[in-house]
Amino acid sequence: MSGSGVNRRDFLQIVGLGGTAMALSACGNTSIESGVELVQSYVQPENFVVPGVGVYYASTCLQCASACGIMGRVREGRILKLEGNPNSTISGGKICGLGQAAVQQHYSPDRLTTPMIRENGSLKPATWDKAMALLNATLTSADAPGRRVWLTGPTSGHHQVLLRSLIDAGGATDTVVYDALSTAVEASVNRKLFGVDHPVTVIEKAGLVLSFGNDFLGAGESPVAAARQYARFRKAARRGILVQIEPKMTLTGANADRWVPIKPGTEGVFALGLARELLQRKEYSGGISPALIAAVEPYTQVEVSRITGVRGDLIPHLAGMLWEHAPSLVLAGRYPQGHAHGSRNTAAIALLNVVLQNQGKTLLRAADLPFPQLAPTAGDFKSLAELNKAMAAGQVRSLLIHGSNPVYSAPDFLGFAANLQKVAFKAAWVTELDETAAQCDLVLPLLSPLEDFGTHIPLNQSDGIELSMQQPLMQKLYPETRSFGDVLLDLLKKTKPDSYKAFPDYYGYLKTAIINAKPAFSAQAEDEAFWEETLSAGVLHRAAPLLPLSAMEITPAMIEQPAPGGYEAKYPFSLIPAVSASMRDGRPANLAWLQESPDTLTTVVWDSWAELHPSTAKAMDVREGDVLLIESAQGSIRAKAYLMPGIHPGSVAVPVGQGHDAYGRYATHIGVNPLKILDPIFDQDTGELALYATRVAITKTDRNERFTKDEGATNLQQGRKLVATLAADQVDLSKEMPFVIR
Amino acid sequence: MWYPLLVFPLALAGMSIAEPLQKGDHFGTFGPHEPFKQGGPIGSQTPDGFNALGPVVEQPIEFPHYIHVEKMGIDCLYCHTYARRSAVSGIPRLSKCIGCHQSIESVKDKPRIKMLLDYWDKKQAIPWKKVHDEPDFVRFNHERHIQRFIFQQERPTREACGYCHGDVGNMTTARRVKALSMGWCISCHQKDHKLNAVSDETSHGPNDCWQCHK
Repeated sequence: MSGSGVNRRDFLQIVGLGGTAMALSACGNTSIESGVELVQSYVQPENFVVPGVGVYYASTCLQCASACGIMGRVREGRILKLEGNPNSTISGGKICGLGQAAVQQHYSPDRLTTPMIRENGSLKPATWDKAMALLNATLTSADAPGRRVWLTGPTSGHHQVLLRSLIDAGGATDTVVYDALSTAVEASVNRKLFGVDHPVTVIEKAGLVLSFGNDFLGAGESPVAAARQYARFRKAARRGILVQIEPKMTLTGANADRWVPIKPGTEGVFALGLARELLQRKEYSGGISPALIAAVEPYTQVEVSRITGVRGDLIPHLAGMLWEHAPSLVLAGRYPQGHAHGSRNTAAIALLNVVLQNQGKTLLRAADLPFPQLAPTAGDFKSLAELNKAMAAGQVRSLLIHGSNPVYSAPDFLGFAANLQKVAFKAAWVTELDETAAQCDLVLPLLSPLEDFGTHIPLNQSDGIELSMQQPLMQKLYPETRSFGDVLLDLLKKTKPDSYKAFPDYYGYLKTAIINAKPAFSAQAEDEAFWEETLSAGVLHRAAPLLPLSAMEITPAMIEQPAPGGYEAKYPFSLIPAVSASMRDGRPANLAWLQESPDTLTTVVWDSWAELHPSTAKAMDVREGDVLLIESAQGSIRAKAYLMPGIHPGSVAVPVGQGHDAYGRYATHIGVNPLKILDPIFDQDTGELALYATRVAITKTDRNERFTKDEGATNLQQGRKLVATLAADQVDLSKEMPFVIR
Repeated sequence: MWYPLLVFPLALAGMSIAEPLQKGDHFGTFGPHEPFKQGGPIGSQTPDGFNALGPVVEQPIEFPHYIHVEKMGIDCLYCHTYARRSAVSGIPRLSKCIGCHQSIESVKDKPRIKMLLDYWDKKQAIPWKKVHDEPDFVRFNHERHIQRFIFQQERPTREACGYCHGDVGNMTTARRVKALSMGWCISCHQKDHKLNAVSDETSHGPNDCWQCHK
């Protein structure tokens, strides 16, 4: 550059300017557009609406039954992002991945935009008039034989009230509430032991949480609320300790201080062994009947170790920790419930809480709701099984489905899809076609949860009484979608006109209901102001202390464990349908962000897999990516092997949620659905499906495929010393800090 | 030598390849300053020396800025009110136009006002076309510029808006009369200026990539 008149800086300027002009062509700066796009203003917005600046509106997330309060950032009339609502005692301003992805359900390109009616075997677009005429016909034929059943997912709030009113008015015969991941076994055990279905577990007050497979941080019943409590539990002056005992590692297990793999179904045996150890102390045995003490006597360390596969010396170690870190909290998750002896398995675990005298300290009862008709109804499997039987016998005339997809999630042995054909009239309300809706005669397009009004009572309330409000975060995207509440109200106006004609729509009904709830929340404001404040805050809250819980009588029969073993040699492995936080029962699978989010334990995306312990894989000469044929007596699935140390060697885990046949472009034909091949095994006491009792055979196929996953071969150095490691006891830490820290 | 790199642009600019570049030369149609010709062809030269005159954009209503600004003396920020508090300056909401025009009897029957009132009756937003439309990878923030020029440095509003939008007050509908290209923005951002009246300290606008290309 020497010798020229232009130095480097000038050169860059010249080239820069010249480059810009030339790149954008000699006729002008065509990257700067003028007169191409529209820029429209509002006609008459609210004063606080500033284009470019987001306004936050409160609502409720409906991705699971937690009913977390959320806020949506709305700009120019469009909902862009969801956050937690700090006013909600459930979410406390936080939100989980499912909540974040809820925007995608709203903007999904596969949204159903018109009603569909089946003609000549296939669903065709139709008008709402025709659709409502079909629906009303089910009301008017009240005298004809056969049940008219509403099949829903877990519900609460005013939808539930309207549904029940519809049934009372003769608009339908009954409801069935189905939850593919039901915890009805635990609810039944709690009812017997403590008198309530859902005692409140106060994690933050515990010094030690002993969790038998309860994934409270992941796919539990209220993960956001539990995670907030867990944070306080860990930050306490005396840091809380988490011990997790389960056959396959969950997200909660990955956070535990001590993770213990256990043979599936033997959690109760371990619990009784621990109870036996604890009852050596008279501080614990004083409150327990001699019959129970005698009942746990056979569960010695040696015996427990033999049955469960867990080292016997863990029992006195745990007993010591439970004593030192009192108060403790013992939790039972889905794993112990999902067996033929599930109730007794779970009862043995619940017994530990009674022995440790946790009730009243970390195990309490929520205050009674002043409006029990809004109280949440958790679903179960047994009701679906009974409905299925009635359908098979031709006793169900019409089936009306909302928030439930049994054609996907029910096991094949039920033959639900085939029995559905025996129902004369089937209707479904969905935002997007799913497997069950695809079989129906009438499919009605719903407003997305971000376009609708509603009220919801959270399933787990540990901080007073809360009612969570849902309001639209933007105008509805598609003119032909309708609110479920409005449809119910229309049906009610036909059956019980006098009671409901005063309400122009669901909004009007809810407004009246909320204003009527003013006294329950000790509100002083005027009616209109109260309604506005409620919508703005997003929640109605009333402080109410948690109530004590007392233990009822526990008989030895309740905790009796079956003799172990007795499995067919043909099916040597136990199948674990693994429930994850992102996929749950399969409903969120059509949200691309959740498919893209790596599984927290394997980092696999957009796929299914079969988790095997490395020792099991080695014995079968299976490498990562080998496609395995996993067969139960009901059917088979194929999945790629993933070597996971966090699983019991005798089990194979396949994630739940994938394997959809018809559920939008992001979920269809991705992965496999392990729920299909479950064996017809049921909990003896409640009749619930035993999710974790299925036995399978595993065969290598000759195919191997690569995973798409976010982890590299971090645990394989392939013979190279990339990261040299030493065992902790071989390191002299004083020599490892040569520099001075100022 | 570096000048072979300039062969490509030089060739397109129509200059001879053989002539080496001298300091002070300009490219292409950049010339010494010519007076701005209203209604010149697109791409012709603008007052600030850039070749960037935008096209005439036809709007649903030929809104006369000159009546409202020159004749009535209405401040830019009265209508484009969001410029001082948002990234976008905002086309005024329809209720703002109606706020005055619902009671101005003298122009009630003019054709453009009739169109305006018709939109209001139908409660329909007027589909204005965007005249100053940066590509999506550029994040321009009005608020920062307005706060700096008008509220901090107390320059007159019409002058400050005119830096980038030209003398809109003398136009009917807006027309782009400035380059709005990156080089043009940077040429202002590079100008050192005194921070305030009492200190000798100077600074210039941000020249980080991420400030505009977030």
